[in-house]
Amino acid sequence: MSITAARAVPRPAASATRVRPPLRRPRECAVSGVGAGLAVHLGAPVWAVRALFVVLSVFGVGVLLYAWFWALVPWDAPAGDVDAAERTGAERAPTRRAPVAWPLVIAAGVGAVLLLGGGGLPYSVAVVVLVATVLAAMSAGVWAALIDRRDPARGPRHALAVRVAAAVVLATVFALMLSLLASGGGVTQFVLTMLPLVGLVIVLSSTLIEKWRELSGERIRRIREEQRSEMAAHLHDSVLQTLALIQNRAGASSEAARLARAQERELRAWLYDGDAPADSDLSTDLRDYAGGLELDYPVRIDVVSAGLSTERASGELAAAAREAMLNAARHAGGDVSVYIEGGATGVDVFIRDRGAGFDLDTVPGDRLGVRESVIGRMRRAGGSATVRSDAGGTEVHLRIVGTGEARGH
Amino acid sequence: MGTDGRDTGIRVVIVDDHSIFRSGLRADLDGTLAVVGEAADVPAAIEVIRATKPDVVLLDVHLPGGDDVDATGGAAVIAGCAGVPTRFLALSVSDAAEDVVRVIRAGARGYITKGSSGAEVSSAVRAVADGDAVFSPRLAGFVLDAFGAVAGETATANDELDRLSAREQEVMRLIARGYAYKEVATELFISIKTVETHVSAVLRKLQLSSRHELTVWASERRLL
Repeated sequence: MSITAARAVPRPAASATRVRPPLRRPRECAVSGVGAGLAVHLGAPVWAVRALFVVLSVFGVGVLLYAWFWALVPWDAPAGDVDAAERTGAERAPTRRAPVAWPLVIAAGVGAVLLLGGGGLPYSVAVVVLVATVLAAMSAGVWAALIDRRDPARGPRHALAVRVAAAVVLATVFALMLSLLASGGGVTQFVLTMLPLVGLVIVLSSTLIEKWRELSGERIRRIREEQRSEMAAHLHDSVLQTLALIQNRAGASSEAARLARAQERELRAWLYDGDAPADSDLSTDLRDYAGGLELDYPVRIDVVSAGLSTERASGELAAAAREAMLNAARHAGGDVSVYIEGGATGVDVFIRDRGAGFDLDTVPGDRLGVRESVIGRMRRAGGSATVRSDAGGTEVHLRIVGTGEARGH
Repeated sequence: MGTDGRDTGIRVVIVDDHSIFRSGLRADLDGTLAVVGEAADVPAAIEVIRATKPDVVLLDVHLPGGDDVDATGGAAVIAGCAGVPTRFLALSVSDAAEDVVRVIRAGARGYITKGSSGAEVSSAVRAVADGDAVFSPRLAGFVLDAFGAVAGETATANDELDRLSAREQEVMRLIARGYAYKEVATELFISIKTVETHVSAVLRKLQLSSRHELTVWASERRLL
């Protein structure tokens, strides 16, 4: 929510009145970001805003106002790529400079020491110290579990340490109160004894909240995944079928069929290759190239590959194969078959078209490209190229021996 | 394979859950083929096929109405029609190897993509009706891969199910390179009938082999 809101950037300050920056809490803040955010919004120094809050707090309003801002002012948009931040999740958690949890733990510890050694404290003071100790330890534990845990600068280990310390303080105070209760006391004494126990329960149960958060996040991810696969199934059943039908009805080399085929390929890549790494091996590269040729020429290229291809897409073999495919698309058209076989001894590529064919010895000037950029290139790369052509079509066979690694560049 | 009084007319049933595709295909098939029935899901298909006993069923790989949610309905139709003397040609819009291999192993005589023209589908139907197998270049490439031919494995005995003989490999390679059966025959100096025998033998291996790679490679690499 905060992301969409943050995208509504302030209007350009073309008007005479100065436009205030939006009220946002910065992601790198001291405690909650309220002071810094308000300072940016009002154009006032941060210390002044903080001082104002402190002064107002004396009258009690400041605390309420602060809490109100804290609850309602959205976080600033994360820096950098919003989508990436949303995916990782870790980037989104704001980080806080002020160590809120430790001072609270220390305060609680001091309170506990006072209570333990404090036989001399007056009763009313002892009650105040007890309540303050329990509140401090409890807040420290809850703060650590709910806020510090997600903070990239602190993390779960820090949260665990704080919570253990808080729990120890609360347990000690509880034990102390229990021993006092055993020596006699009324209802008030019983309630006071129960206070640290309640705090302890709250600190411990804050883990459950964290777990619940994780669980719901997991659920949301699963629902998204399900929706995506449902959509893929639906597209597969409807759109892909229709695209196939268009190709089938429009004839292999018509404009409509080519567009439908290109669209089908794109949709298919989106549906099924989304999670596959975008490696650029020979067959992937030639497939992509074939897709491009199909858009430019009235041709349908079927690329089939077998075996593990270690051949790189940038190699000479790939360049020669692309040239041969381009020739087939340009001069023959119709159906072109490309077969790539990567075996243990080498890589073979066959490019076959059904054009009128040509005689290599009497090639016209414009097909000189075959001799230079296919045959010559393969020979220079240490491979071989054979061109067979008759009335039924032309087949170019490219072969390179050895593995991709052994050849180097 | 004229078993009864029919002369050249090959009787065809089209099974596909898209009516628009069924009618389009029906219009595209050439005159020697008689479409005697259509069905849109697994139970209807089994009923129509049992009632009409067609020569060839054009069967969509993905069909609704199968028992298993994940399974492709095409294989369920073939299983449900056991005992009916009919042949199945799988039609697939999907390139997913596991789907195509599954219907072939269920008993389909071949596979053809839905983007193929009416003439291509018609000739494939005739080939299947004659008892031949229909291999697309992609299926041939997958077979070469899955049976280890690319890695240099060759069957030594004729009846070996897990590897291809040298001749079968040659035939499969030429099909993968886009050769029609006739062109394969010319290239290898053998008769078309011999080519068809080899292809049928490979199809039989594809259906019967328990070769581990068949299933693993198909699902892992989406080769088809």
